[in-house]
Amino acid sequence: MNIATVEPWVEAPLRRFVDDARARLALLLHPSGQVIAQAGFTREVDVMSACALAAASHATAGELGRRVDGHAFRSLHYAGPDRQLFLSPVETARGAYICLTVFNAESSLGLVRIYFEELCNDLAAAAPPLPAIRQPTIAADFELDLNRNLAALFGRHHP
Amino acid sequence: MSPFTSMLESLTRQRGVRASLIVSENDGLIVDSNLRFGQDGDRIAALAASMYRKARLSAGAARLGAVSFLQLDAERGRICAVGGRSDLVIVVVADPAANVGLIRVELFRALESLE
Repeated sequence: MNIATVEPWVEAPLRRFVDDARARLALLLHPSGQVIAQAGFTREVDVMSACALAAASHATAGELGRRVDGHAFRSLHYAGPDRQLFLSPVETARGAYICLTVFNAESSLGLVRIYFEELCNDLAAAAPPLPAIRQPTIAADFELDLNRNLAALFGRHHP
Repeated sequence: MSPFTSMLESLTRQRGVRASLIVSENDGLIVDSNLRFGQDGDRIAALAASMYRKARLSAGAARLGAVSFLQLDAERGRICAVGGRSDLVIVVVADPAANVGLIRVELFRALESLE
């Protein structure tokens, strides 16, 4: 499966997860919607919209959980007639990410969940420590970062 | 206590049985389980359900009919599974030296009560 990452340390754990869980698509993103890695997507527009929707869905579930249960709901599972998705956060030394996994009848929610636990452990082990000084994310940086990440993911030159 | 509790207790009472579970075949999730200490129920459920599903589809593709009993023997244990008309699969994890004949009888008895 075609895997592209912005952060190189993500690639091996994500590849293992996608292979073991037999996922059709996978996306690792920052909670703001910035893409970190993608597996199985062929168009950058799909990645952009999937990232935006996944980030929104995660934020919505978190807020709903806080309102009805006092704690953010962590994982989400939606089942369609042919495909299902599993959305869950991943904690690493680089901060929290969200992982969106799309799978079909080749896999199951149970399989995706057990291999997702391994992905969380692998990413936590592989993540390099956060640099001491972190630039604030402002609107201009966000767009620049987004374009740079998409360029890296789809192999085109970004000025 | 679920409707499956006594059935699972009866399966786990068999000599050499480490765990018994009722698993959803499609989701690979535990419906109910009776586990001895040290057994990872979620992992067993997901993998056993996947294995049973693949076996059922393979048997269908080979025109062999429905799968009645599935057994996997490994170095450090064995997995036995039976499924019926519903989505539910009954799974037993046992020691390599456990009596499979008895486990099989108990599994079919459990399946009858499930259906």
